[in-house]
Amino acid sequence: MLYLQPQNLLVQKTLTEALEANARGTPLILDRIISDFDYTTLHISNSPEEKALLWISIKTKAWLSISKCGPDLVGYLNTKYDDLAGVSTCQPEGGYDYTLQVDLKALQNDAVVQLSLLKVMTMSYPFQLAFNEFASLAQLPEGSNTTETVHKIEYRDDENVFIKPSNDRITVIFETFFQDETDKVFGKVFLQEFVDSRKRNRAIQSAPQVLFSHEPPLEISKLVSSRVSEKSRRFITFVLFPRHFQTPELQFSSICHLALFRNYFHYHIKCSKAYMHSRMRYRVDTFIKVLNRAKLDENEDGSEETTRRTVTGRKMVY
Amino acid sequence: MSQSLRPYLTAVRHSLQAALNLSNFSSQVVERHNRPEVEVPNASAELLLQPMHISRNEHEQVLIEPSVNSVRVSIKVKQADEIEQILVHKFTRFLEQRAESFYVLRRVAIPGFSISFLITNMHTETMNTEKLVDFIIEFMEEVDKEISEMKLFLNARARFVAEAYLGEFVY
Repeated sequence: MLYLQPQNLLVQKTLTEALEANARGTPLILDRIISDFDYTTLHISNSPEEKALLWISIKTKAWLSISKCGPDLVGYLNTKYDDLAGVSTCQPEGGYDYTLQVDLKALQNDAVVQLSLLKVMTMSYPFQLAFNEFASLAQLPEGSNTTETVHKIEYRDDENVFIKPSNDRITVIFETFFQDETDKVFGKVFLQEFVDSRKRNRAIQSAPQVLFSHEPPLEISKLVSSRVSEKSRRFITFVLFPRHFQTPELQFSSICHLALFRNYFHYHIKCSKAYMHSRMRYRVDTFIKVLNRAKLDENEDGSEETTRRTVTGRKMVY
Repeated sequence: MSQSLRPYLTAVRHSLQAALNLSNFSSQVVERHNRPEVEVPNASAELLLQPMHISRNEHEQVLIEPSVNSVRVSIKVKQADEIEQILVHKFTRFLEQRAESFYVLRRVAIPGFSISFLITNMHTETMNTEKLVDFIIEFMEEVDKEISEMKLFLNARARFVAEAYLGEFVY
Protein backbone atom coordinates (compact mmCIF):
# COMPACT_ATOMS: atom_id res chain seq x y z
CA MET A 1 0.00 0.00 0.00
CA LEU A 2 2.11 2.82 -1.29
CA TYR A 3 -0.50 5.52 -1.67
CA LEU A 4 -3.11 6.63 0.76
CA GLN A 5 -6.45 7.04 -0.90
CA PRO A 6 -8.14 10.42 -0.69
CA GLN A 7 -11.56 9.01 0.06
CA ASN A 8 -12.49 7.70 3.47
CA LEU A 9 -12.85 3.95 3.08
CA LEU A 10 -15.07 3.56 6.12
CA VAL A 11 -17.54 6.11 4.84
CA GLN A 12 -17.50 4.44 1.48
CA LYS A 13 -18.10 1.03 2.99
CA THR A 14 -20.85 2.24 5.30
CA LEU A 15 -22.68 3.95 2.49
CA THR A 16 -22.36 0.99 0.16
CA GLU A 17 -23.76 -1.27 2.87
CA ALA A 18 -26.59 1.13 3.53
CA LEU A 19 -27.35 1.34 -0.15
CA GLU A 20 -27.44 -2.44 -0.56
CA ALA A 21 -29.56 -2.92 2.53
CA ASN A 22 -31.98 -0.32 1.30
CA ALA A 23 -32.23 -1.99 -2.08
CA ARG A 24 -33.18 -5.24 -0.29
CA GLY A 25 -35.90 -3.35 1.53
CA THR A 26 -34.33 -3.55 4.98
CA PRO A 27 -32.74 -0.17 5.60
CA LEU A 28 -29.89 -0.20 8.12
CA ILE A 29 -30.17 1.66 11.36
CA LEU A 30 -26.98 3.64 11.46
CA ASP A 31 -25.29 5.86 13.98
CA ARG A 32 -21.60 5.78 13.21
CA ILE A 33 -18.87 8.16 14.14
CA ILE A 34 -15.91 7.81 11.84
CA SER A 35 -12.56 9.49 12.37
CA ASP A 36 -10.36 10.69 9.59
CA PHE A 37 -6.89 12.24 9.57
CA ASP A 38 -6.23 15.64 11.10
CA TYR A 39 -8.88 15.78 13.81
CA THR A 40 -11.73 15.19 11.42
CA THR A 41 -14.84 13.37 12.53
CA LEU A 42 -17.65 12.19 10.32
CA HIS A 43 -21.02 11.17 11.62
CA ILE A 44 -23.41 9.01 9.63
CA SER A 45 -26.87 8.56 11.09
CA ASN A 46 -30.45 7.99 10.05
CA SER A 47 -32.72 10.96 9.88
CA PRO A 48 -35.17 10.80 12.81
CA GLU A 49 -38.25 10.61 10.57
CA GLU A 50 -37.28 8.36 7.74
CA LYS A 51 -34.91 5.38 7.69
CA ALA A 52 -34.01 5.76 4.04
CA LEU A 53 -32.63 9.23 4.69
CA LEU A 54 -29.08 9.44 5.96
CA TRP A 55 -27.28 12.38 7.42
CA ILE A 56 -23.57 12.71 6.81
CA SER A 57 -21.98 15.34 9.00
CA ILE A 58 -18.39 16.46 9.11
CA LYS A 59 -16.52 18.21 11.84
CA THR A 60 -12.95 19.21 11.17
CA LYS A 61 -10.38 21.32 12.90
CA ALA A 62 -9.61 23.13 9.68
CA TRP A 63 -13.21 24.33 9.18
CA LEU A 64 -12.83 27.67 10.92
CA SER A 65 -9.70 28.68 9.07
CA ILE A 66 -11.00 27.42 5.73
CA SER A 67 -14.23 29.37 6.04
CA LYS A 68 -12.17 32.48 6.70
CA CYS A 69 -10.29 32.01 3.41
CA GLY A 70 -13.20 32.90 1.19
CA PRO A 71 -16.71 34.26 1.22
CA ASP A 72 -18.81 31.14 0.94
CA LEU A 73 -17.44 27.75 1.92
CA VAL A 74 -20.88 26.25 2.47
CA GLY A 75 -22.00 27.49 -0.93
CA TYR A 76 -18.92 25.92 -2.53
CA LEU A 77 -19.64 22.55 -0.95
CA ASN A 78 -23.31 22.85 -1.90
CA THR A 79 -22.41 23.30 -5.56
CA LYS A 80 -20.16 20.24 -5.36
CA TYR A 81 -22.86 18.00 -3.92
CA ASP A 82 -26.17 19.45 -5.11
CA ASP A 83 -26.08 17.96 -8.57
CA LEU A 84 -25.54 14.40 -7.28
CA ALA A 85 -28.81 12.50 -7.41
CA GLY A 86 -30.32 11.94 -4.00
CA VAL A 87 -27.97 14.28 -2.15
CA SER A 88 -29.29 17.49 -0.72
CA THR A 89 -27.93 19.93 1.78
CA CYS A 90 -29.52 20.66 5.10
CA GLN A 91 -28.97 22.53 8.34
CA PRO A 92 -25.74 21.41 10.06
CA GLU A 93 -26.29 18.87 12.79
CA GLY A 94 -25.48 20.07 16.30
CA GLY A 95 -21.75 19.87 17.03
CA TYR A 96 -20.83 19.41 13.38
CA ASP A 97 -19.77 21.88 10.74
CA TYR A 98 -21.60 20.69 7.66
CA THR A 99 -24.30 18.15 6.99
CA LEU A 100 -25.52 16.44 3.84
CA GLN A 101 -28.80 14.61 3.59
CA VAL A 102 -28.69 11.50 1.45
CA ASP A 103 -31.75 9.83 0.09
CA LEU A 104 -30.83 6.18 -0.31
CA LYS A 105 -33.69 5.58 -2.74
CA ALA A 106 -32.21 7.95 -5.28
CA LEU A 107 -28.49 7.57 -4.53
CA GLN A 108 -26.29 6.27 -7.32
CA ASN A 109 -23.27 4.05 -6.71
CA ASP A 110 -20.77 6.52 -8.09
CA ALA A 111 -22.01 9.25 -5.78
CA VAL A 112 -20.79 7.16 -2.82
CA VAL A 113 -17.18 7.94 -3.70
CA GLN A 114 -17.95 11.62 -3.95
CA LEU A 115 -19.56 11.52 -0.52
CA SER A 116 -16.58 9.76 1.01
CA LEU A 117 -14.39 12.57 -0.33
CA LEU A 118 -16.14 15.07 1.92
CA LYS A 119 -13.02 15.92 3.89
CA VAL A 120 -10.88 16.47 0.80
CA MET A 121 -13.67 18.58 -0.70
CA THR A 122 -13.62 20.81 2.34
CA MET A 123 -9.85 21.10 2.15
CA SER A 124 -10.04 21.89 -1.56
CA TYR A 125 -11.89 25.18 -1.08
CA PRO A 126 -8.82 27.40 -0.47
CA PHE A 127 -7.02 25.61 -3.29
CA GLN A 128 -9.93 26.36 -5.59
CA LEU A 129 -9.86 30.00 -4.53
CA ALA A 130 -6.15 30.09 -5.29
CA PHE A 131 -6.72 28.60 -8.74
CA ASN A 132 -9.34 31.26 -9.47
CA GLU A 133 -7.09 34.03 -8.25
CA PHE A 134 -4.28 32.70 -10.37
CA ALA A 135 -6.56 32.81 -13.42
CA SER A 136 -7.56 36.41 -12.79
CA LEU A 137 -4.00 37.50 -11.97
CA ALA A 138 -2.67 35.96 -15.14
CA GLN A 139 -5.08 38.15 -17.15
CA LEU A 140 -3.90 41.37 -15.57
CA PRO A 141 -1.09 43.38 -17.21
CA GLU A 142 2.48 43.15 -15.97
CA GLY A 143 3.19 45.24 -12.89
CA SER A 144 -0.24 45.11 -11.32
CA ASN A 145 -0.53 41.35 -11.22
CA THR A 146 0.66 40.57 -7.73
CA THR A 147 -1.38 39.87 -4.67
CA GLU A 148 -0.77 39.72 -0.97
CA THR A 149 -3.37 37.03 -0.45
CA VAL A 150 -2.23 33.95 1.44
CA HIS A 151 -4.76 31.32 2.41
CA LYS A 152 -4.04 29.60 5.66
CA ILE A 153 -5.44 26.24 6.66
CA GLU A 154 -4.96 25.44 10.33
CA TYR A 155 -5.51 21.74 10.10
CA ARG A 156 -3.67 20.56 13.16
CA ASP A 157 -2.67 22.03 16.50
CA ASP A 158 0.49 23.78 15.42
CA GLU A 159 0.69 22.77 11.81
CA ASN A 160 -0.64 24.88 8.99
CA VAL A 161 -0.82 24.94 5.23
CA PHE A 162 -0.29 28.21 3.42
CA ILE A 163 -1.43 28.69 -0.16
CA LYS A 164 -0.19 31.70 -2.04
CA PRO A 165 -1.40 32.37 -5.58
CA SER A 166 0.64 34.55 -7.91
CA ASN A 167 0.52 35.31 -11.60
CA ASP A 168 2.61 32.41 -12.82
CA ARG A 169 2.49 29.83 -10.05
CA ILE A 170 0.84 28.76 -6.84
CA THR A 171 3.00 28.17 -3.80
CA VAL A 172 1.82 25.68 -1.20
CA ILE A 173 3.78 25.71 2.03
CA PHE A 174 3.40 23.11 4.76
CA GLU A 175 4.48 23.96 8.24
CA THR A 176 5.18 20.84 10.22
CA PHE A 177 6.52 19.75 13.58
CA PHE A 178 8.24 16.61 14.68
CA GLN A 179 7.46 15.62 18.19
CA ASP A 180 9.70 12.63 18.38
CA GLU A 181 13.47 12.86 18.10
CA THR A 182 13.59 9.82 15.83
CA ASP A 183 10.84 11.21 13.61
CA LYS A 184 12.83 14.38 13.28
CA VAL A 185 15.88 12.58 11.94
CA PHE A 186 13.88 10.23 9.73
CA GLY A 187 11.82 13.18 8.53
CA LYS A 188 14.96 14.99 7.54
CA VAL A 189 16.07 12.05 5.41
CA PHE A 190 12.67 11.81 3.76
CA LEU A 191 12.31 15.53 3.12
CA GLN A 192 15.78 15.73 1.67
CA GLU A 193 14.81 13.02 -0.78
CA PHE A 194 11.68 14.95 -1.74
CA VAL A 195 13.89 17.90 -2.59
CA ASP A 196 16.52 15.87 -4.42
CA SER A 197 14.51 13.26 -6.26
CA ARG A 198 13.17 15.74 -8.80
CA LYS A 199 16.69 16.75 -9.73
CA ARG A 200 17.93 13.21 -9.90
CA ASN A 201 15.16 11.48 -11.79
CA ARG A 202 14.46 12.82 -15.25
CA ALA A 203 11.08 11.12 -15.42
CA ILE A 204 9.64 13.34 -12.73
CA GLN A 205 11.17 16.61 -13.85
CA SER A 206 7.74 18.07 -14.48
CA ALA A 207 6.60 17.46 -10.89
CA PRO A 208 6.27 20.52 -8.66
CA GLN A 209 9.47 21.88 -7.25
CA VAL A 210 9.94 21.03 -3.59
CA LEU A 211 11.91 23.18 -1.17
CA PHE A 212 12.62 22.49 2.45
CA SER A 213 13.78 24.92 5.13
CA HIS A 214 13.92 25.50 8.86
CA GLU A 215 13.08 29.19 8.51
CA PRO A 216 9.69 30.38 7.29
CA PRO A 217 9.86 31.21 3.57
CA LEU A 218 9.59 34.91 2.72
CA GLU A 219 6.06 34.56 1.32
CA ILE A 220 4.66 33.74 4.71
CA SER A 221 7.21 35.17 7.12
CA LYS A 222 4.68 37.77 8.30
CA LEU A 223 1.99 35.20 8.94
CA VAL A 224 3.97 32.71 10.93
CA SER A 225 3.70 33.40 14.59
CA SER A 226 7.08 34.13 16.08
CA ARG A 227 6.18 32.57 19.40
CA VAL A 228 7.21 29.14 18.18
CA SER A 229 10.80 29.45 17.13
CA GLU A 230 11.37 25.84 17.93
CA LYS A 231 14.05 23.80 16.33
CA SER A 232 11.70 21.06 15.34
CA ARG A 233 9.71 23.27 12.98
CA ARG A 234 10.10 22.58 9.27
CA PHE A 235 8.70 24.23 6.17
CA ILE A 236 8.08 22.32 3.00
CA THR A 237 7.25 24.33 -0.09
CA PHE A 238 5.59 22.97 -3.21
CA VAL A 239 5.66 25.23 -6.24
CA LEU A 240 2.76 24.38 -8.54
CA PHE A 241 3.07 25.55 -12.12
CA PRO A 242 0.11 26.06 -14.45
CA ARG A 243 0.59 22.59 -15.92
CA HIS A 244 -0.39 21.11 -12.56
CA PHE A 245 -3.82 22.74 -12.55
CA GLN A 246 -4.79 23.23 -16.15
CA THR A 247 -8.00 21.24 -16.11
CA PRO A 248 -10.48 20.60 -13.30
CA GLU A 249 -9.38 16.93 -13.18
CA LEU A 250 -5.73 17.91 -12.76
CA GLN A 251 -6.72 20.45 -10.15
CA PHE A 252 -8.60 17.85 -8.21
CA SER A 253 -5.86 15.26 -8.33
CA SER A 254 -3.27 17.85 -7.28
CA ILE A 255 -5.46 18.87 -4.36
CA CYS A 256 -5.96 15.25 -3.30
CA HIS A 257 -2.23 14.63 -3.23
CA LEU A 258 -1.37 17.84 -1.48
CA ALA A 259 -4.11 17.44 1.10
CA LEU A 260 -2.67 14.05 1.95
CA PHE A 261 0.99 15.07 1.87
CA ARG A 262 1.49 15.17 5.60
CA ASN A 263 -0.31 11.89 6.13
CA TYR A 264 1.61 10.19 3.35
CA PHE A 265 4.91 11.43 4.66
CA HIS A 266 4.32 10.52 8.28
CA TYR A 267 2.79 7.19 7.29
CA HIS A 268 5.99 6.21 5.54
CA ILE A 269 8.11 7.30 8.48
CA LYS A 270 6.06 5.00 10.69
CA CYS A 271 6.34 2.22 8.13
CA SER A 272 10.11 2.39 8.06
CA LYS A 273 10.20 2.33 11.84
CA ALA A 274 8.00 -0.74 11.83
CA TYR A 275 10.22 -2.44 9.28
CA MET A 276 13.29 -1.70 11.35
CA HIS A 277 11.59 -3.13 14.37
CA SER A 278 10.87 -6.42 12.66
CA ARG A 279 14.38 -6.46 11.30
CA MET A 280 15.85 -6.00 14.78
CA ARG A 281 13.65 -8.80 16.04
CA TYR A 282 15.09 -11.10 13.40
CA ARG A 283 18.62 -9.98 14.23
CA VAL A 284 18.12 -10.65 17.94
CA ASP A 285 17.04 -14.18 17.10
CA THR A 286 20.19 -14.84 15.11
CA PHE A 287 22.34 -13.45 17.92
CA ILE A 288 20.61 -15.71 20.42
CA LYS A 289 21.28 -18.67 18.14
CA VAL A 290 24.98 -17.84 18.05
CA LEU A 291 25.06 -17.50 21.81
CA ASN A 292 23.26 -20.79 22.33
CA ARG A 293 25.95 -22.52 20.32
CA ALA A 294 28.32 -21.59 23.11
CA LYS A 295 26.30 -23.48 25.72
CA LEU A 296 27.81 -26.73 26.89
CA ASP A 297 25.84 -29.90 26.42
CA GLU A 298 24.63 -31.02 29.82
CA ASN A 299 25.18 -34.71 29.17
CA GLU A 300 28.75 -34.19 28.13
CA ASP A 301 30.17 -32.99 31.41
CA GLY A 302 27.70 -34.92 33.54
CA SER A 303 27.09 -31.95 35.81
CA GLU A 304 23.63 -33.34 36.54
CA GLU A 305 24.92 -35.88 39.07
CA THR A 306 27.39 -33.63 40.78
CA THR A 307 24.80 -31.14 42.05
CA ARG A 308 25.63 -31.09 45.70
CA ARG A 309 22.84 -30.99 48.24
CA THR A 310 22.77 -30.35 51.96
CA VAL A 311 21.36 -32.85 54.42
CA THR A 312 17.94 -31.19 54.33
CA GLY A 313 17.87 -31.50 50.55
CA ARG A 314 18.65 -27.91 49.66
CA LYS A 315 20.96 -27.20 46.77
CA MET A 316 24.45 -26.15 47.66
CA VAL A 317 25.17 -22.66 46.47
CA TYR A 318 28.66 -21.34 46.66
CA MET B 1 36.29 -7.21 5.72
CA SER B 2 38.23 -4.00 5.52
CA GLN B 3 41.95 -3.85 6.12
CA SER B 4 41.84 -2.21 9.53
CA LEU B 5 38.88 -4.17 10.85
CA ARG B 6 40.68 -7.51 10.90
CA PRO B 7 43.55 -6.52 13.21
CA TYR B 8 41.06 -4.71 15.43
CA LEU B 9 38.90 -7.81 15.81
CA THR B 10 41.98 -10.00 16.26
CA ALA B 11 43.18 -7.74 19.05
CA VAL B 12 39.78 -7.92 20.73
CA ARG B 13 39.70 -11.69 20.35
CA HIS B 14 43.09 -12.23 21.94
CA SER B 15 42.42 -9.78 24.74
CA LEU B 16 39.12 -11.50 25.49
CA GLN B 17 40.72 -14.91 25.48
CA ALA B 18 43.28 -13.64 27.95
CA ALA B 19 40.66 -11.95 30.11
CA LEU B 20 38.21 -14.85 30.23
CA ASN B 21 40.23 -16.76 32.75
CA LEU B 22 37.75 -16.68 35.58
CA SER B 23 37.40 -18.62 38.75
CA ASN B 24 34.74 -18.84 41.38
CA PHE B 25 35.39 -16.29 44.03
CA SER B 26 33.23 -15.54 47.03
CA SER B 27 32.98 -12.05 48.37
CA GLN B 28 35.68 -11.04 50.80
CA VAL B 29 33.39 -8.58 52.52
CA VAL B 30 30.03 -10.24 52.94
CA GLU B 31 29.60 -13.83 53.92
CA ARG B 32 27.70 -16.11 51.50
CA HIS B 33 27.85 -13.46 48.82
CA ASN B 34 29.27 -14.14 45.43
CA ARG B 35 29.19 -11.18 43.18
CA PRO B 36 30.94 -10.04 40.03
CA GLU B 37 33.83 -8.11 41.48
CA VAL B 38 34.07 -5.79 38.51
CA GLU B 39 30.61 -4.45 39.29
CA VAL B 40 31.13 -3.92 42.99
CA PRO B 41 32.26 -0.47 44.10
CA ASN B 42 35.36 -0.21 46.31
CA ALA B 43 36.50 -3.68 45.45
CA SER B 44 39.91 -4.50 46.71
CA ALA B 45 42.68 -3.83 44.25
CA GLU B 46 43.90 -7.41 44.23
CA LEU B 47 40.63 -8.57 42.64
CA LEU B 48 40.60 -6.12 39.75
CA LEU B 49 42.98 -6.50 36.86
CA GLN B 50 44.26 -3.89 34.50
CA PRO B 51 41.49 -2.76 32.07
CA MET B 52 42.30 -3.12 28.39
CA HIS B 53 41.27 -0.42 25.98
CA ILE B 54 41.37 -1.33 22.31
CA SER B 55 40.41 1.36 19.87
CA ARG B 56 40.25 1.28 16.10
CA ASN B 57 39.50 5.00 15.93
CA GLU B 58 37.70 7.49 18.12
CA HIS B 59 34.27 6.07 17.14
CA GLU B 60 35.01 2.39 17.51
CA GLN B 61 36.43 1.21 20.78
CA VAL B 62 36.30 -1.75 23.10
CA LEU B 63 36.94 -1.63 26.81
CA ILE B 64 37.64 -4.92 28.58
CA GLU B 65 37.63 -4.74 32.37
CA PRO B 66 38.71 -8.06 33.86
CA SER B 67 38.47 -9.10 37.46
CA VAL B 68 38.95 -12.34 39.33
CA ASN B 69 35.47 -13.72 38.67
CA SER B 70 33.97 -11.50 35.97
CA VAL B 71 34.79 -9.55 32.84
CA ARG B 72 32.96 -6.51 31.61
CA VAL B 73 33.20 -5.87 27.87
CA SER B 74 31.94 -2.55 26.58
CA ILE B 75 31.65 -1.81 22.89
CA LYS B 76 31.33 1.54 21.23
CA VAL B 77 29.64 1.13 17.87
CA LYS B 78 30.50 3.45 15.01
CA GLN B 79 28.12 6.41 14.79
CA ALA B 80 29.07 8.62 11.90
CA ASP B 81 26.00 10.86 11.73
CA GLU B 82 22.75 11.47 13.56
CA ILE B 83 20.88 8.76 11.65
CA GLU B 84 23.41 6.17 12.75
CA GLN B 85 23.27 7.55 16.27
CA ILE B 86 19.53 7.00 16.38
CA LEU B 87 19.78 3.58 14.79
CA VAL B 88 22.49 2.44 17.21
CA HIS B 89 20.51 3.79 20.13
CA LYS B 90 17.34 2.01 19.01
CA PHE B 91 19.15 -1.21 18.29
CA THR B 92 21.08 -1.40 21.54
CA ARG B 93 18.00 -0.50 23.54
CA PHE B 94 16.12 -3.23 21.73
CA LEU B 95 18.81 -5.73 22.71
CA GLU B 96 19.03 -4.53 26.29
CA GLN B 97 15.30 -4.99 26.74
CA ARG B 98 15.83 -8.63 25.85
CA ALA B 99 18.89 -9.02 28.08
CA GLU B 100 17.54 -12.04 29.95
CA SER B 101 17.66 -14.18 26.81
CA PHE B 102 21.21 -13.04 26.14
CA TYR B 103 22.61 -14.15 29.55
CA VAL B 104 25.81 -12.15 29.15
CA LEU B 105 24.29 -8.83 28.15
CA ARG B 106 24.35 -6.01 30.67
CA ARG B 107 21.08 -4.10 30.85
CA VAL B 108 22.75 -0.72 30.91
CA ALA B 109 25.81 0.24 28.97
CA ILE B 110 28.82 1.84 30.62
CA PRO B 111 28.76 5.62 30.04
CA GLY B 112 30.52 6.46 26.81
CA PHE B 113 29.81 3.08 25.22
CA SER B 114 26.92 1.74 23.18
CA ILE B 115 26.53 -1.67 24.74
CA SER B 116 28.12 -3.71 27.53
CA PHE B 117 28.45 -7.39 28.32
CA LEU B 118 29.11 -8.86 31.72
CA ILE B 119 30.61 -12.34 31.68
CA THR B 120 30.93 -14.06 35.04
CA ASN B 121 32.50 -17.34 36.04
CA MET B 122 29.01 -18.90 35.95
CA HIS B 123 28.87 -18.17 32.24
CA THR B 124 32.30 -19.55 31.51
CA GLU B 125 31.42 -22.69 33.46
CA THR B 126 28.20 -23.35 31.55
CA MET B 127 29.40 -22.15 28.18
CA ASN B 128 32.27 -22.80 25.91
CA THR B 129 34.62 -19.86 26.41
CA GLU B 130 35.93 -20.03 22.86
CA LYS B 131 32.39 -19.87 21.46
CA LEU B 132 31.56 -17.01 23.80
CA VAL B 133 34.45 -15.04 22.34
CA ASP B 134 33.19 -15.97 18.87
CA PHE B 135 29.81 -14.56 19.80
CA ILE B 136 31.23 -11.22 20.87
CA ILE B 137 33.35 -10.94 17.75
CA GLU B 138 30.43 -11.88 15.52
CA PHE B 139 28.26 -9.42 17.36
CA MET B 140 30.71 -6.63 16.64
CA GLU B 141 30.84 -7.48 12.97
CA GLU B 142 27.10 -7.87 12.59
CA VAL B 143 26.14 -4.70 14.43
CA ASP B 144 28.16 -2.55 12.06
CA LYS B 145 26.70 -4.35 9.09
CA GLU B 146 23.17 -4.10 10.43
CA ILE B 147 23.41 -0.40 11.16
CA SER B 148 24.72 0.47 7.73
CA GLU B 149 22.11 -1.73 6.07
CA MET B 150 19.32 -0.06 8.01
CA LYS B 151 20.65 3.31 7.04
CA LEU B 152 20.81 2.33 3.39
CA PHE B 153 17.31 0.97 3.60
CA LEU B 154 16.02 4.20 5.10
CA ASN B 155 17.57 6.25 2.32
CA ALA B 156 16.32 3.90 -0.35
CA ARG B 157 12.82 3.96 1.05
CA ALA B 158 12.81 7.73 1.36
CA ARG B 159 13.91 8.07 -2.23
CA PHE B 160 11.34 5.62 -3.48
CA VAL B 161 8.55 7.25 -1.51
CA ALA B 162 9.47 10.74 -2.66
CA GLU B 163 9.70 9.69 -6.28
CA ALA B 164 6.40 7.86 -6.10
CA TYR B 165 4.69 10.87 -4.57
CA LEU B 166 6.10 13.36 -7.04
CA GLY B 167 5.46 10.93 -9.88
CA GLU B 168 1.76 11.40 -9.23
CA PHE B 169 2.11 15.01 -10.32
CA VAL B 170 3.52 14.16 -13.73
CA TYR B 171 0.78 14.55 -16.26
